[in-house]
Amino acid sequence: MTLRHTIVDAIETIAREQDKPMPPVTDDLVMVDTEFDSLCFALLVARMEDMTGVDPFSDMEVADLPVTVGDLVALYDRAVQKRAA
Amino acid sequence: MSETPARDRVVVVTGGSRGIGLAIAEALAADGHRVVAVARRSSEALEAAAGKAEGRIRFEPCDLAELDALQPLAQKIRAAHGPVYGLVNNAALGTPGLLATMPATEIARLVHLNTVAPMVLTKLLVRGMMAKGAGRVVNVSSIIAFTGYNALSVYAATKASMIGFTRSLAREVGKLGVTVNAVAPGFVETALTEGMGADDLAKIAGRSALRRLVEPRDVADAVAFLVSDRARNVTGTVLTVDAGSTA
Repeated sequence: MTLRHTIVDAIETIAREQDKPMPPVTDDLVMVDTEFDSLCFALLVARMEDMTGVDPFSDMEVADLPVTVGDLVALYDRAVQKRAA
Repeated sequence: MSETPARDRVVVVTGGSRGIGLAIAEALAADGHRVVAVARRSSEALEAAAGKAEGRIRFEPCDLAELDALQPLAQKIRAAHGPVYGLVNNAALGTPGLLATMPATEIARLVHLNTVAPMVLTKLLVRGMMAKGAGRVVNVSSIIAFTGYNALSVYAATKASMIGFTRSLAREVGKLGVTVNAVAPGFVETALTEGMGADDLAKIAGRSALRRLVEPRDVADAVAFLVSDRARNVTGTVLTVDAGSTA
C-alpha cells in the first residue's frame, strides 16, 4: 500500500467511525471544507504515527499547515523520507 | 472499549522512582496493571518495589525536562511495553522560594517541568488512547492550587494550571472514551516536603479534619481508583486527598 493509499484509507475509516460524511477523498480535496474536524485530524495523526512511525507535526517545523489531501500526503512523504535519510 | 484486559493495561507513571509516584506505581501494579515508571534515575526503593511486583513495574529513564526526549520516550514505551492505556503525570519540582527573590531561571524551570513537560507527554500518549477509544489520564495537582501557601506561588501556579488542563482535555477526549482527572493531595510526607520542618508539618496536621498528614499510599489509592474501570463515569474532576485540610 502506498503512502497515499494509507492516508486516504485512514481518513475514510476515521470519517466512517466518527459518522462524518465525506466526499470522495481526492488530492485536491480541501480538508477544512469537509466535516473531518480537529478530533478526526488528531485521530489521523495518531494512526499514521502507529503505521509509519512518523509524526510530521511533532518531528518537523511545519510552516504551512496542509490544506488539501495532496498537501497532507506530501507532508507525510517528506517526513518518511527525512526519517529514512 | 479497549480489548486489553484490565489486568494487563500499560500505565505510565512519571516521577515513579520515589515518593507519591512510587506509591502510585505500587498501587497500580497491585491492581494488575503493567506500570512503566519514568524518572531520571531509578532508586533502591523502585527496584525493591519492582522485585515485589513480579515484572509489573518497569523502569524507563528519561529527563522529562528535555522536551525533545519525550517523543522517543513515547515511541520506546509503546514498542517495549505495548499500547499505553493510562498516564499519571506526577513528576514535579516543589522548589520553595519567595517570588520577590526567585531567579527567573528557577521560575521557568518549575513551569517547564511541572506544566509544559506533562502537557507534551500527555499529547504524545493520549493520541494512542484516542485511537483505541479508551484510556486514562490522571494529573497530580495539589491543594495549594486552591489554598495558596507562603513561598510556593510558582509551584501553586503550575499545579493550578494542571487543573485547567485536566478540565479542558476531559472535554476534548471524552467522546473517545478517555477520562482525564486530577488528584489534589494535601501535604504528604515526601522528599518534596522535607524542607518544611517538623513544626510546620505538625501545624498542618493539626489543622486537618482528621488531625493527621496524608501518606503517599492515600494519594496512590485515589489515583488507582481514577485509573480503574470503577471510575468510568468520572472525568474532568479533581479528587482532593488531604485528610480534611481544606474541609
